[in-house]
Amino acid sequence: MLQRPVHPAFSTLRYALILLVVLFAAFPIFWMILTSFKPPGDIMVSPPRLFFSPTLDNYVHAIVDKDFLRYVTNTLIVSVISTVFVVVLGSLAAYSFARYNTGDGHILFFILSTKMFPAIAVVLPYFLIFRDIGRTGIGQFLQIGLDKPGALIISYTMFNLPFAIWLLVSFFQDIPRELEDSARLDGLSRLKVLRKVVLPLAAPGIAVTAIFTLIFCWNEFLFAYILTRKTWSTVTVGVESFFTLQGILWGPVAAAATLAVLPMLLFVLAMQRWMVRGLTFGAVRG
Amino acid sequence: MASIQAERLVKRYNPGAPPAVSGIDFEIADGEFVAILGPSGCGKSSTMRMIAGLETITEGTIRFDGRPVNEVRARERNVAMSFESYALYPTISVYENIAFPLRCRGEANAAIDRQVRQIAETMELAPLLQRRTKELSSGQAQRVGLARALIRRPTVFLLDEPISHLDTRQRYRMRQFIKSIHRDFKTTMIYVTHDQEEAMALADRIIVMSHGDIQQIGTPEEIYERPVNAFVAGFVGEPPINFIDGEVVVTDGEFHFTTAGQSFLLPPKVKATPGRMRLAVRPAWLSLGSERDHHLRATHFVTERLQDHNILVVDVGRTRVTLLTDPAVLPRDGEKLYLRLDPDRILLYPPDGSQAAADDDDS
Repeated sequence: MLQRPVHPAFSTLRYALILLVVLFAAFPIFWMILTSFKPPGDIMVSPPRLFFSPTLDNYVHAIVDKDFLRYVTNTLIVSVISTVFVVVLGSLAAYSFARYNTGDGHILFFILSTKMFPAIAVVLPYFLIFRDIGRTGIGQFLQIGLDKPGALIISYTMFNLPFAIWLLVSFFQDIPRELEDSARLDGLSRLKVLRKVVLPLAAPGIAVTAIFTLIFCWNEFLFAYILTRKTWSTVTVGVESFFTLQGILWGPVAAAATLAVLPMLLFVLAMQRWMVRGLTFGAVRG
Repeated sequence: MASIQAERLVKRYNPGAPPAVSGIDFEIADGEFVAILGPSGCGKSSTMRMIAGLETITEGTIRFDGRPVNEVRARERNVAMSFESYALYPTISVYENIAFPLRCRGEANAAIDRQVRQIAETMELAPLLQRRTKELSSGQAQRVGLARALIRRPTVFLLDEPISHLDTRQRYRMRQFIKSIHRDFKTTMIYVTHDQEEAMALADRIIVMSHGDIQQIGTPEEIYERPVNAFVAGFVGEPPINFIDGEVVVTDGEFHFTTAGQSFLLPPKVKATPGRMRLAVRPAWLSLGSERDHHLRATHFVTERLQDHNILVVDVGRTRVTLLTDPAVLPRDGEKLYLRLDPDRILLYPPDGSQAAADDDDS
C-alpha cells in the first residue's frame, strides 16, 4: 500500500508536540543531574545557572560521608529477591486462575481487592507484626523484623502480587489450551508442560511483570521508611536522610537521587524493547 | 494399535447441569476409521477428550484392547491427536515440532532425525522443516500437526475437526490425504466433525450424536439409506432431506399417505402405523413423473443450475421440497410438476422426530 503523503506543517507540529512532551518528562531528571555537579553557591541562585564549574564534591559527600552506595546495595537485594518471589508465586497463581478458573473468580477478586486500600492503612500493623516476629528466634534466623531485609521482602511481595497476578492472568489466558493438551498427549507431565510449553510462551508477559515489579520495589518509600532504621534502609529513604535538621543539602541530595535513579534508568532503557513488545502483543497467536 | 470399547460412558462437568455425555456405549475395531458426527455441543468432543485422557471419566469405562484405561494418564495411553487450531508449538521450528514426541521419550538424536525426515517426506513437508510455524499456510500447518501425531506410531489417532479451518479446495486435498494416511498407517482413527460430508467421505463407520447421546452407529450407507430417526435423517445428506408432514390412513387394508389434499399408496414393505406421520425423502430419491405415473403433485418454485445437475425447488402444498434432476430439465416458473418416489426408499417417522409426541397424537 502507498503511504498517505503527510503535509509538512502537520509533520512539524507532530515533532514539536513530541519535543514538548519529552522536555516535560525529561527536564526534572536533567536538572537533577545538573544540580548534582554544582558547587553549593550555584544551586539556589536566581536566575538558575546553566553554566558553572562542575564538581564531584556532592558525590564524595553522598558516597563517602553518607555511605550512600550501601542504600543502593540494600535496595538491589530487597528489590531483586521480592521480584523473584512475585514472579514465581504470581505465575503459579495466575496460571491456576487462567486455566482452572480457581475460586470461580471470587479468589481473584479478593486478591485484587487487597489493592483497594492505601498502603498507609496497613503499614502500622505491619510495623507491630514485624517488631514482634523480629523478637522471635525464627524471625531473627530468617531476617524478618524491623530494619531487616525479610520484612521488606515480605511486604513488597505482598503488595506487588495482586498487580502481577492480574497482569499475568491475561497472558496465560492467551495461550491456547490445545498446546497444553497436545504436549500432555506427546508425553509430558503437567509440570513439564508448564515448564516447556507454557512458560516459554508466557515469557514476554513474565518479563514485563518482572520489570514493573522491580521498578515498584525500587521506588517504594513508605514501607522502607517505617520498617527500617539505618542498616537496611533503601535508596528512597537514603535520599530523604539528606533532609536534615540543619537544612536540606541540595547538592548531595541531587547526587544521591542521581545514584538512586541511575540503575533503574539504565535498566528500563535496556528493557524498553521487551516491555513494549510484551504489552502490545499480548502473548501468542494460535 | 488398539480396539476401543466404551461402556455407559458419562461426562458431567458440573454436578447440577445435564451431562455433556450421558451414558453411551460403542465399540471401535482395531484399525477402524470411525467418525463421530454431530452438531456443536452434542458431546462428541467430550467423548474424544475422554478417550485421549484429557478429561476425567465421570462414570463408565473406556477400554483399549479390553484393558480399562480410566486411570491411565494421557501421556501413557500413546494416543495422538490433531487439533482444529493445529496446536503447533510456536517457539520452535517445524522440525522440532515433529520431533517433539520423540524428544519427550528421550530417543537418540540420530534416530529422531531419521524418523523426522522420513515422515516429512511422506507428508510433503521436507522443504519446510527449518521454517517457523507462523510462516506456514493453514494446510501446511495441519500437515505438520498430522506428522507430529503420526511420528510416534500411536495406538489411537484422534482428529478433532482437523480441516474445518481450511478453504474448500484445501479441505478436499486434506480429506484425501487423511484417507491415504489411514490406508498406509493402518492406525485406529477417530475423527470428530460436525460436517456430515467429511464423515461420509472418510469413515468406515459413523457415530451420530446429539444432546450427549448416540443416535445411530452405522456405515455411511446405513446412516444415509436407513437413518433411525428424523434427527439423523436431517443431519446427514446434502442438499438436506425433505420432510413432508401428513397422515397415514388405512383404506381397504392398504396404507395411504395423505398430505395437502393429495394421497398416494404406500408400498407394502413400508412399515407404517395409522396417524400423523412425517415422510422423509432425499432429493436424490425423487424424480419427475408424468400425469399418469406419480405420487405427488407440485408447483415449481426455483431451479438452481449447478451444471452437472440441477436442484429443483418445488412446493407440495405448503411444504418446500428439493429434488435433483438432469441439467436439461428446466421447468417454467409456477409450472405444475409430477413427483415420483423411489418405492424402496421411503422413510416414515413420528411427527417432530420424537416418540413421545407420536404417542400423544395416537388416540
